[in-house]
Amino acid sequence: MKVNFAPLVEMRGISKSFTGVRALDNVSLEANSGEVHILVGQNGAGKSTLIKVLCGAHHPDHGEFLIDGKKVRIHSVADARRLGIAVIFQEFSLVPFLDVAQNIYLGRESRDSRKMHTEAARLLEQLGIPMDTHLLVNDLGVAQQQMIEIAKALSQNARILVMDEPTAALSEHEILRLFERIRRLKQDGIAIIYISHRLKEVFELGDRITVLRDGCVAATLVPSKTSINELVSLMVGREVDATYRRRFCEMPGEIALETRALSAVNGVRDASIQVRSGEIVGLAGLVGAGRTELLRAIFGADRKTEGEILLGGKRLMEGPEHSVASGVGLVPENRKTEGLALIRSVHDNLLVAALPRIFPNHIYRFRKAARVVADLIERLRIATHSPKRLARLLSGGNQQKVVIGKWLNAGSRFLIFDEPTRGIDVGAKAEIFSLLDSLVAQGAAVLMVSSELPEIVAVCDRAYVMRDRTIVGELQRSELTEENILRLAMHHG
Amino acid sequence: MASARRRIPGIAWLLAVLVLFFSAFGTRFASAPNLINIGNQSSILLLLALPMTLIIMTEGLDLSMGAVLGLSGVVLALLLADGHALPMALAAALGVGTLFGLANGVLIVALGMPPFVATLGMLGVAQGIALAMTDGQSVGGIGSALPGIYASRWMGIPFAIVVALLAYATFHFLLYHTRVGTYVFAIGGNREALMLAGVPANRYHVLIYAIGGLMAGAGAFLLTGRMSVGHPTAAVGMEFDAVVAVIVGGTKLERGDGWLPGTVLGVLTVGILKNGLNVMAVPSSLQIASIGMLVIVALLLDSLRERS
Amino acid sequence: MSSFAWRLLGVLLLCVVLTLSSSAFLTVGNLLNVLRQASLIFLIASGLTLVILSAGLDLSIGANLGLSACLAAAVIKATGSIAIGIGAGLGCGMTIGILNGLLITMLRLPPFIATYGMLWMVYGINYWTMAGNTIYGFPAAFREIGSGYLLGMPIPVLLMVLSLIVGAVFTRYTTWGHEIYAIGANAEVARLSGIPVRRRLILVYTLSGAMSGLAGIVYLARLNSAEAGIGEPLLPARHRLRPIGGTSLFGGTGSLGGALIGAVILTLVLNGMNLLTISGNWQPLITGVILLLAAGIDTAARKWNESQA
Repeated sequence: MKVNFAPLVEMRGISKSFTGVRALDNVSLEANSGEVHILVGQNGAGKSTLIKVLCGAHHPDHGEFLIDGKKVRIHSVADARRLGIAVIFQEFSLVPFLDVAQNIYLGRESRDSRKMHTEAARLLEQLGIPMDTHLLVNDLGVAQQQMIEIAKALSQNARILVMDEPTAALSEHEILRLFERIRRLKQDGIAIIYISHRLKEVFELGDRITVLRDGCVAATLVPSKTSINELVSLMVGREVDATYRRRFCEMPGEIALETRALSAVNGVRDASIQVRSGEIVGLAGLVGAGRTELLRAIFGADRKTEGEILLGGKRLMEGPEHSVASGVGLVPENRKTEGLALIRSVHDNLLVAALPRIFPNHIYRFRKAARVVADLIERLRIATHSPKRLARLLSGGNQQKVVIGKWLNAGSRFLIFDEPTRGIDVGAKAEIFSLLDSLVAQGAAVLMVSSELPEIVAVCDRAYVMRDRTIVGELQRSELTEENILRLAMHHG
Repeated sequence: MASARRRIPGIAWLLAVLVLFFSAFGTRFASAPNLINIGNQSSILLLLALPMTLIIMTEGLDLSMGAVLGLSGVVLALLLADGHALPMALAAALGVGTLFGLANGVLIVALGMPPFVATLGMLGVAQGIALAMTDGQSVGGIGSALPGIYASRWMGIPFAIVVALLAYATFHFLLYHTRVGTYVFAIGGNREALMLAGVPANRYHVLIYAIGGLMAGAGAFLLTGRMSVGHPTAAVGMEFDAVVAVIVGGTKLERGDGWLPGTVLGVLTVGILKNGLNVMAVPSSLQIASIGMLVIVALLLDSLRERS
Repeated sequence: MSSFAWRLLGVLLLCVVLTLSSSAFLTVGNLLNVLRQASLIFLIASGLTLVILSAGLDLSIGANLGLSACLAAAVIKATGSIAIGIGAGLGCGMTIGILNGLLITMLRLPPFIATYGMLWMVYGINYWTMAGNTIYGFPAAFREIGSGYLLGMPIPVLLMVLSLIVGAVFTRYTTWGHEIYAIGANAEVARLSGIPVRRRLILVYTLSGAMSGLAGIVYLARLNSAEAGIGEPLLPARHRLRPIGGTSLFGGTGSLGGALIGAVILTLVLNGMNLLTISGNWQPLITGVILLLAAGIDTAARKWNESQA
């Protein structure tokens, strides 16, 4: 690792407010050339605002920037780019129906199209992922799209790369490759500022860690001198034990849901699983193994072609309508597009699945609706000052609570979760798991997909592992370790 | 390459079937004069459908094109009838069209009005002005220069078709080989990304609507030449046909997924259907009914193929 | 101020302006006329509002009205029975609506295309079956629907009030109404929440069709004659109606009260132009400008709300 005398990039005393809300308060952050500096903090702590300020999208109220020890001005995105700062956001900045080269050079198109393509191809090769630059981005997978984003940054001669939760949508395997590339970039002297919710990564990859809390810097530490618990305590502002401890289910009840040789139009083949009431059963596997597809097939979101689904011993009729009426609820991976109607209020979202149940004679009564909603908001501790607030404005954790609340309202006894804690900060994560815990303690059953293996190990009573769209194994509590899961998930029989 | 390549779409098959059908059952269908007729009549629609493709790719819509075409035609005719020179009158017509296009763009991009509503309002405004200026009557006496140009042939090809071909070539180049075209894909596909890349997306977005208005003016040039008069409601409803041609041709309504060659196929399909039915002396009422069927069948084909 | 309030203000303003500009405005006769006109527009608008709430479109209403009216006319003449004729007209409207619904839900056609295609088909069938003829001269009892009074109100106005009440109750006080709002906001979320989206959409288009049919019958009763082009004068007005009435074209927000105000505003404008003998040529311009104003206010209000959040 090369070390220069002055940090490559430095932000000093940055403050930023939005209509009366202080998003950043005197924040200072620096990164050396060849360093991976990891930024952690809860949702709303100010991480996104900070990087938006750095890349020129927001203008700070106070503070200054230094590159190589010299003061610079960042008034626009173009300024930041010229200074060598490149940001890769979680929602990629790629245009689906343009090809790879056009995306890399968006806004900087050259007259010579062939030269553009050759350059792009060279960049991608250097990164270690050669690909046909004439392919449309829409036809590529998430991991490849991410590489294109990195190539885009490098093509701008970026010396400072900011990555916002880059591993959120990647499989374990792809994450390892990403880390390899990041290490290579380090050797080239690039400073990397990396935001993550996955604390394990922090220790694997980070040279330094900065914790943000409520818009201020809580601490800047070196990984070898700290622990996950300390980080979490700093993020939350109090003592916290980071790993959720669950009291596992000793005596599961009746079989709540069973599938027999289930196959569906989305590619799932011959899947047979059982979930008993009182259990939280995990569904693990690599990206593309078919986990989401299985969940959707069970819920009826995608049509089944063969096999059976039994709920409480009885055949479940096809389609979301029947699933919901029978007490099954699905909390999807994309909560913003499939779980909630963002333009509607918390009130409306909480009621949308429960209308036939709460108003069996089809007459909507406002007072009863308001009462039911108020109860639920209190019970789940959904942070909103009014039930009329638009769902769009809630934080990730609260949005997830609304989705769960929607199913509780609908009387669901069998809940299916697809990545329940994605994009949710540590504090809210714990709340959600404790919620699941209390639900199953009362006899509900939960089937849960998660790409975070530690989560599955910490929370599930049992787990099935999928590969190639079918179930390849089941792990009981005593066998449930990350190694075992990975072994089953990756084995090429 | 953001490309002009696709699997052969359902519409192409439909078109082939239509051509075969009419050639077999309509005695005059496949004759040279009739094919030229189809070309002429489709040309104007193509002039509208080309910019409409770009507009729909950016998740927009322009319902005012027909009315703007009418207004431009009226302006053109009035100026010619008043003795002004053709180039100047043409410039005025194009100017009027572009002005309305710009207005649409400003309402939609700068003010954030939904395109359906904004262009519907401008439709009323354009229509209203045209009607008020002419009291609902045709404007004649435009002289023989314009009709003469319309009737002329260039290397044996009728003027209107030449214009249509040139227009297509221009738009094809624009969309697939220029920066503006790239930005059209980007505005529809991921506008944020474009802005983060430092490109003033709004400017290009407004430009797209302005181009639409310009082409409406160009359409007025052809239509007035053909009819030898300017009439305020001559092109009423043409924008709907243009939308149908674009969508039936395979351009999707969102995410910047557009296919320009498909638009040509869509326009031809509408034109051939109308013409073929005429040739077979099908009563005009049934012709209208068939267009409805056509639209539905073409999309049905596409959606079936996508699902398989 | 809520968008509803703005529009109410607009109505009042218009009334004031018209009263001042024409002595003929504030007479009982004229006002009744306005209401009668508005009621026709509103009947169609109420069905259309439901469609828009579900984030759809129904471009076929003009042709629907025409065909339903002509069919009702033909049946009355053929059977001599008003009841069967009305039944036929309503049935026709509903059938077209059901077909639209099926095209959109089963064949997954975008509403724009499906209803536009249907528009042409229905027009075509209408013109072809009418073959240029006009059917006229209906029994007095039938004509009462258009010109008669009941409970002191003109029957069309009574129908309007009824449909307003039924519609408002449906959208606000029934679960079906709330489900339609949910579908308009995000159809996939609605589906994944157990709402039978297809059934509701078919319902919505059927209702829209039925209301077009009803409007056709009322129109027929007033005109006392039917010919193929019967729906056409009303056509442009309806499309401009919705945004003026405040129903967002993105679905999920809007109300019947808003549609009513839209109908009233439009009719006031037409009435005013009549009284002031402004040529009909100016109508598109005036309605276009009002539309832009209404949409502009809406858009500005939405942006204001968002910045406050």
